[in-house]
Amino acid sequence: MVSRRWFSIVAVICALSFMSAGCKHRSPDGGDSLDPNMIGGGEGTEALGERTDLGTKIEGLNFSNVLFDYDSFQVSEGEFAKIDEVANYMKSNDSVLLVTEGNCDERGSREYNMSLGEHRALAVRAHLVSLGIKGTRIQTKSYGEEYPANAGHDESAWAQNRRVEFALYKP
Amino acid sequence: MKRRMIRACCEWRKPGKAMFSAILAGFMAVGAGFIAYGQDVTIVKAGGGKLSIDISGFKGGGGKKDTFCSVLASDLKRSGYFDVVQQQGKAVIVADGECDEGSDSFSVECETRNGVTSKRYFNKDFSEKGQNAAARVAHAVADEIVWAVKNVKGIASTKIAMIGSKGRVKDLYVSDIDGGNLTRVTQDGMAYPAPSWGGSQDVLFYTSRHGGFPDIYSIDLHTKNRRSFSSYPGLNAGADVSVDGRKMALTLSKDGNPELYIMDLSSKRLTRVTRTEYAAEASPSWSPDGGRIVFVSDKSGSPQLYIMSSSGGEQKFVSSRGSENVAPDWGPSGRIAWSSKRGARYEICVWDPSTGQNVQITAGDADYEDPSWAPDGRHIACSRTVGYTSDIYILDTMGDAPIRLTRVQGDWYSPCWSP
Repeated sequence: MVSRRWFSIVAVICALSFMSAGCKHRSPDGGDSLDPNMIGGGEGTEALGERTDLGTKIEGLNFSNVLFDYDSFQVSEGEFAKIDEVANYMKSNDSVLLVTEGNCDERGSREYNMSLGEHRALAVRAHLVSLGIKGTRIQTKSYGEEYPANAGHDESAWAQNRRVEFALYKP
Repeated sequence: MKRRMIRACCEWRKPGKAMFSAILAGFMAVGAGFIAYGQDVTIVKAGGGKLSIDISGFKGGGGKKDTFCSVLASDLKRSGYFDVVQQQGKAVIVADGECDEGSDSFSVECETRNGVTSKRYFNKDFSEKGQNAAARVAHAVADEIVWAVKNVKGIASTKIAMIGSKGRVKDLYVSDIDGGNLTRVTQDGMAYPAPSWGGSQDVLFYTSRHGGFPDIYSIDLHTKNRRSFSSYPGLNAGADVSVDGRKMALTLSKDGNPELYIMDLSSKRLTRVTRTEYAAEASPSWSPDGGRIVFVSDKSGSPQLYIMSSSGGEQKFVSSRGSENVAPDWGPSGRIAWSSKRGARYEICVWDPSTGQNVQITAGDADYEDPSWAPDGRHIACSRTVGYTSDIYILDTMGDAPIRLTRVQGDWYSPCWSP
């Protein structure tokens, strides 16, 4: 009787552990990260607004690209300041529109990299929305691996190519 | 087996027998049913032989007859089912007939029969007008012979769409399956990977940033008329039309995440079939019966293959080995070809869902990606990348040596074989 009760307790603990594991996201680099640390890309993310006429691209702005790990769309904490800077600019210029442009390095499937690049663009957009920028002001675009910033074929070049660029427009 | 695979890799620099052996090994294992899912194949026996065919008996037709016979011989060899012999009375199959040549036309009355039993397969007239008429007649005759003798859909009249890239200029191209008649379909340099035929050889779907964002366009190959087909906010990509031509699977991010959708082509009504939090989907490909799709998702942490009903529901993980498994194409024979990252290289693998047989068919010092099945269910077009330069190759799953399709400077990738 005792052993049956113990068996039940162990079974419940195992089930809860399993359910808990199911709530985690296994990050692209292989580690586990809890959902609250994730930025963008989830089902709860708001739908993209209708495309609007962007107007004229603002030249001369030099916002730093947001960089990503290999096969990852997670925005690391070290990149937050770059997004904050864009958010502050948009708050000070409330008619400005933005396109977050997602890119990948040359490794991997070209077609999958189209989705991964879009996921990166969406992740940065979600961060901007969490900082108070209206989603209707931000559109996303993926270039996949088609337009590298650095044409090299080593880790240094790839690191520069796994990026989201900021393209700002004035209607 | 490991040693065998490594040796095959090293011998790729001497194309021909070595590569032939490596590929032959893989596919003969499938044919003999000795492959365990996710394991290296075991060589069991040699593949099926080829039938000898004599095409030396065509008469008439002037200078174009030589073109006709030359193209016919190439087509029959490329089918993989025939050895062309030039000596009468020495072949199992005999094809001959009377050719007629006009200034702008070519025709032939062709009879094909078994040279041993005298069984007649067909006696039929073929005729074409305009440019390359003799070659087009040859393609039609070759396909008729393959169908009549082997009961297999021929590939001589099919085409291959692909993306050609010169630096940042990327356009959609179409060629015959011998690499001839390479035609640039788009001129704006903004084509993205993964074009798809729209159920016939008349229309292609492809993604382009022509309008500023990655949208799906259709283009009529006869009129070159281009129409915007899917231009939702965000990403519009990965179009794949079902075999019956009634539905399209595609990747859209309009709802805030790259997800798969099914579009009814007559009404353009969309049905979302994936809802994967924190994951991206890509590369949907229809099963031959239209009931399922195979696709790529990175929800496990790396891009892997999954199969689900085309109406949504449970997603079955189907990748085996390989740190990444991408770019699946579900072929007419029911087998799925895809690109699997094995070690540092991408290799083409083939999996038969009905038997679980799983075979790696490339083993060279190159990256092989983006497989696309031919309508014969035997050949596969793919990109082969060496030294950061890509070309399109034709692989034969029955063991004939790979054939390089593109010989023009530039990068060539994302082949898609026409119906």
